[in-house]
Amino acid sequence: MWLLLKYTLLYASVLALVALGGMFSERSGVINIALEGIMVIGGLMGVVIINILNAAGVPVFLGVLLTILISGLAGTVYSSLLAFSSVNLKADQTIGGTALNLLATALAVVIAKRINGTDSPKISYNANTNKVLNNLNFSFQIGPLTLNWFIVVAVIALVAAWFILYRTRFGMRLMACGEHPQAADSVGINVYKMRWCGVLISGFLGGIGGVAYIVPAVGDWNFEMGVAGMGFLALAVMIFGQWKPLGIAAAALFFAVFRAMANIFDSIAFLNALNWPKEIYNMMPFIASMVVLAFTSKKSRAPKAEGVPYDKGSR
Amino acid sequence: MSKKNTAPRLGNASNSIGSLLASLTCILVGLVIGFIALLVLGWITMAQDGNAVSLGQMLQKTWNSGFKAILSGGFYSTANAMGMGVRTEILQAAPLIMTGLSVAFAFKTGLFNIGAAGQYTVGAYFALYAAIVLKLPWWACLIASALGGAIWGAIPGVFKAFLNVNEVITSIMFNWIGLYAVNTLIYQGGTGAMYNTNTTKTYTIKQASPESLLPTFNIQVGGKDYFGAIFLPTIGIFVAIVAAVLIWVVLNKTTFGYELKACGHNKNAAKYAGINDKKNIVLSMTIAGALAGLGAGLFYLSGSKEWEPLVSTALPAAGFNGISVALLASSNPIGCIFSALFIAHITVGGGFMDASIFPSEVSDIISGVVIYLCAFSLLFKSGILKMFQRQGKARKAAPSAEENGKEREA
Amino acid sequence: MADYVIEMLNITKEFPGIKANDNVTLQLKRGEIHALLGENGAGKSTLMSVLFGLYQPEAGTIKKDGQVVEIRNPNDATALHIGMVHQHFKLVECFTVLDNIILGAEPCKGMVVDRASARKRVVELSERYGLKVDPDAKIEDISVGMQQRVEILKMLYRENEILIFDEPTAVLTPQEIDELMDIMRGFKAEGKSILFITHKLAEIKAVADRCSVLRKGKYMGTVEVANTSVEEMSRLMVGRDVQLVSTKEEAKPGDVVLKVENLTVPSKVHKNNAVKSASMEVHAGEIVCLAGIEGNGQTEFVYALTGLEKPSEGKVTMCGQDITKMPIRGRSKLGMSHIPEDRHKHGLVLDYSLENNMVLQRYWDKEFQTCGFIKSRAVRAYSDRLIEQYDVRSGQGSATIARSMSGGNQQKAIVAREIDKDPQLLIAVQPTRGLDVGAIEYIHKQIIAQRDAGKAVLLVSLELDEVMNLSDRILVMYEGEIVGEFDPKTTDVQTLGLYMAGAKRMDKEG
Repeated sequence: MWLLLKYTLLYASVLALVALGGMFSERSGVINIALEGIMVIGGLMGVVIINILNAAGVPVFLGVLLTILISGLAGTVYSSLLAFSSVNLKADQTIGGTALNLLATALAVVIAKRINGTDSPKISYNANTNKVLNNLNFSFQIGPLTLNWFIVVAVIALVAAWFILYRTRFGMRLMACGEHPQAADSVGINVYKMRWCGVLISGFLGGIGGVAYIVPAVGDWNFEMGVAGMGFLALAVMIFGQWKPLGIAAAALFFAVFRAMANIFDSIAFLNALNWPKEIYNMMPFIASMVVLAFTSKKSRAPKAEGVPYDKGSR
Repeated sequence: MSKKNTAPRLGNASNSIGSLLASLTCILVGLVIGFIALLVLGWITMAQDGNAVSLGQMLQKTWNSGFKAILSGGFYSTANAMGMGVRTEILQAAPLIMTGLSVAFAFKTGLFNIGAAGQYTVGAYFALYAAIVLKLPWWACLIASALGGAIWGAIPGVFKAFLNVNEVITSIMFNWIGLYAVNTLIYQGGTGAMYNTNTTKTYTIKQASPESLLPTFNIQVGGKDYFGAIFLPTIGIFVAIVAAVLIWVVLNKTTFGYELKACGHNKNAAKYAGINDKKNIVLSMTIAGALAGLGAGLFYLSGSKEWEPLVSTALPAAGFNGISVALLASSNPIGCIFSALFIAHITVGGGFMDASIFPSEVSDIISGVVIYLCAFSLLFKSGILKMFQRQGKARKAAPSAEENGKEREA
Repeated sequence: MADYVIEMLNITKEFPGIKANDNVTLQLKRGEIHALLGENGAGKSTLMSVLFGLYQPEAGTIKKDGQVVEIRNPNDATALHIGMVHQHFKLVECFTVLDNIILGAEPCKGMVVDRASARKRVVELSERYGLKVDPDAKIEDISVGMQQRVEILKMLYRENEILIFDEPTAVLTPQEIDELMDIMRGFKAEGKSILFITHKLAEIKAVADRCSVLRKGKYMGTVEVANTSVEEMSRLMVGRDVQLVSTKEEAKPGDVVLKVENLTVPSKVHKNNAVKSASMEVHAGEIVCLAGIEGNGQTEFVYALTGLEKPSEGKVTMCGQDITKMPIRGRSKLGMSHIPEDRHKHGLVLDYSLENNMVLQRYWDKEFQTCGFIKSRAVRAYSDRLIEQYDVRSGQGSATIARSMSGGNQQKAIVAREIDKDPQLLIAVQPTRGLDVGAIEYIHKQIIAQRDAGKAVLLVSLELDEVMNLSDRILVMYEGEIVGEFDPKTTDVQTLGLYMAGAKRMDKEG
């Protein structure tokens, strides 16, 4: 059971981070379907940087901090492509996002192959040469429970997101841009700027989410499979959480249980007894999300202006 | 006034020329970015090897062992592989035309079928099952593949029409569900009926059921069989072209197409006109799914590749490339034929590059960049149209814009 | 001459293909109520958006207190104490009243928005000016009238001295309009200057000191309201004498064509029913008008009649057939025509060509298709005939994309399509919204012609002038109920207003 809790918390933190990112973007009025791609880029930069930090022998705390920051920044930079196309060029946000997803996987594979110097798209980051930092150092122990730093980051992000959205001027203006950009514009709020902010924040959180998903799991990662749909699950989490931080936290936990089962079903007696193939468990979070969406989406209330490019000049 | 004017045809023509030029711009920019990517990759490799090279040398190298291959596509071939590249290109183009049609058809109804990949996967399963297990003739296998895709396409349609769930989300989820399901069904813990434990792949159709293979064809070049004697292109490409023409007719000449497009442009107006929008959403997604599924049939029934359930952890690229195909073609079914040929061209070309320096995924990067650019190709298009207008004005010096302005006032 | 608090000199603003303002000059005196008069599409809103910094003019200067100023965005306008109540309210629906008022000018304590102090100020302002609002209510839950008060409070909260009201009376009852005028007079007494945009002459007479007139983007002059007759102002606005009342003969009602019994329609916006047990009849050869303030259930009522929405209770009968559950196509075949409220949402497929729009209700007809294949020649011929007959103007005839047509011609195309179907029942919802006088006159004539041809007409309108002018019978709808029935010859606008506001009601049987 501790194992289930561990993995649930792990995946919940990934889903919550990325879904919060999606929330910031969509609250500002930009549909961010590129979260999957942003996670890939964040994860890629994360493992690259871990290897560099390992070689340099950086102290653990600094290493963890730097990894998180840099993968976040990588996601931010990548998300600026989405912001540019959807805010400045008023492009179709879904298509732009899809392009970025495809591009991210292609980029990651090309870069991974180049780093390896071989035809393998796998990068390992827990090699024996690690002296100071290895993936264990992202975790810490509370009693029988192994936790990792990303859980802490996710909790901080949740609290911060709630505070920013509901208590600060920035949050209020951000939401206004996603609901009624004309109204925001008429009171002197720069809609373009706020939407850029929303997308960039989502890039930062998505990037961290990427490394949070990849690093604690295994010792190497095959970038051909991207992040296996985790970014899309985060979108479902965001919708199920009704674009609200607390809702997202709850939804993330719910989905994380299903995702965690895929990792540990063979160590839980009754699940093991069912003798289902692993693929069934892989499918489960996706099926769960469809069931949930089917029942909730009639009532669901997305930001009104999401997906609609804002054009200052139009009448 | 209205009857005298001959502008409509001109207007429509310049509109489609605008779309074409916009697509060409996307391709051009995509290729330039691809070239730069190759240049950087090559430079890094050389630097790693400790070779100091000048920019000139680098450009030459990038061109010769990389970019030239991408541009030449299937025609880039060494002497002993004559016709091989072209064969591969034709083979890959057929499913791409189908997935492109799938996405384009849904676009016309206002739906974004990002689920072509999943429909393709399920279509592949149906095709393989019909061939390897049921040993049906090839045409029946094709029907089976379309059926599989149709089922997988109908699901997002039903979710959208009756439960108000965005089709993009549903399609994405069902892409993954489809992939895992197909892997499970084929593998079945190693006991699957079409799973060959020796090769860890499905049995080849050639062994299991030769009559399920698509018929092949050959052409004569200079009195010789162009494609050699062993690996021949299949009739898949012709099936795809016929499908494209059919879809064009349905969309442009029939009341069904009229209804679908009305739903796509304005759901509310369609409903107001008594068109059953729910039925049309489901039908449109079902047809889109069938097209994608058929694409998988055309590919897997050619016998050139088997399904590997243990390593197929990523969704098939043909599904997503269908989005590029549709966007490049501005959702025009006939245009899909050409844009699919282009995507197949650079993909096959990517494989001919010197793999030790240039990963073949560079062509995926080009394709991704092309979609990204297509997302705002309208911008290119309006820019191009403006350029036309300016030129037209200068030539004719006719104050047509002003007249339009006055009419708006009236 | 620092008498002018705002001067807009020689302003020109162009949009692609159209000059919305062509060398327009407007001078606003301190402490006056200055009306800006013009037809729909004359460029009034554009001019005000320029003053408010939403648009940048191509030419011209703006002076505040005699100094040339540049207004690049609404922040600049606010800094110059210019405020605006937009025609379409700029309110975030899921925000509270308070949040909407302070948005963009939030008082902050550190990083946190200081809602407590903001609330105090808003309550204070609301009491001082008699603008009753509930600061904690969400915009989506309050009435249109209260939403307008929120917009006014937004200006007061920002201490604006120059107040722009863009068509503020369109959404109000006659009584609410009187209240608004009192509030405006109060502002004037305090020394604030007001720009009041309208196309209603009576309102100008009632409240304005001076009036500037725009016609098709051009400045026609400024007059003293006290010395100018309504007819003169109207001539300035339209450019010719306007027949303010359409003449029509006495109605000769025939059989019942439409019968509605106890119709109840649930609302999509709130939990209550949008239409509550409404009953009515429309006879052949008469125009029945459904009057009321926007959002009182008229839209849903029509949706239920035309099949766009399902009623939860009640019965609709047309020509003796129960059509309560009939699909839209069936109603259409039975002879129902529907000129929809929102021509862009329902009336047209904007990206279709005009000819495809002309057959939108009939493309399935044998006349236009065989075995599912569209007869494009027949479609073109039919469309050409309608264009000719109904004088629909467009750049490229039948092949014109509907989106590129003017609003008036789009509406004419819809009217042509719906009337040419030769219906038994014509349901016309706000058929003249946003159109200029010429188009309005034309459409009114067509509607009366339909009545005279023995068709039943149900007209839904927010414009009381139109209601009084066209109808043979008036029903007033308030909060989803039909609260009164009137003969236009024996009633007046004031009486209708009382019913529209829910202040009075008749018994159901009356």
